[in-house]
Amino acid sequence: MRVIDAVRRSAVGVGPACTISEAAQIMNDAGVGALAVIAENRVVGIVTDRDLVRRALARRLPPDSRVDGVMTTEVTTVGAEADVHSVYGLFRTHGVRRLPVMRNDQFVGMITIDDLLIDLAADLADLARPITAEVLFSHRDSAVPATTASS
Amino acid sequence: MQATVGDRIDVRGHHIGDPDRGCEVLEVRGKDGGPPSLVGWEDSGHTALFFPGPDAMVQHFEHTA
Repeated sequence: MRVIDAVRRSAVGVGPACTISEAAQIMNDAGVGALAVIAENRVVGIVTDRDLVRRALARRLPPDSRVDGVMTTEVTTVGAEADVHSVYGLFRTHGVRRLPVMRNDQFVGMITIDDLLIDLAADLADLARPITAEVLFSHRDSAVPATTASS
Repeated sequence: MQATVGDRIDVRGHHIGDPDRGCEVLEVRGKDGGPPSLVGWEDSGHTALFFPGPDAMVQHFEHTA
């Protein structure tokens, strides 16, 4: 499965001059927990709801502070056509929950740990189905034909 | 996903009880009507770039000149 096929949600991007207040409202409007920060068609950072709490609210930054002051830079990305299993390693080694998905150096979406968990849960359910059926509805073995020793 | 200016994009809620969200396409930045689009969100009017996923659906409207 390709990475882009595992992406389940739309992604939203803002410019670096977007304020943290606007970013929070856009997250709320769009129902997302992270925004790609895009300048001249390139991803220059990611800002998450956690960034807004830890780097803005906790430090009492004014609401009109720019989002590029609290975003995470040096963003690790993954190619849209890459095998989805490569993402597991990236999440593990980089300690992140979301990765921007790129195609031809352009941002096209965001893959999250949630997306992978949903796929894993579906796979596990598929695997468990025959076992569950066997446990709950075990069919009786046919009786062994009675045989008598011939003398 | 192809969109034109004035189209509405509906985004499904992701969790139980989550409302669906709506925005209007203000500009199409991709080639041939493709993503991304600059959208205005219904709730606050804020604008953002939108990169559609499988949870998004475009409602096309007839546009009059």
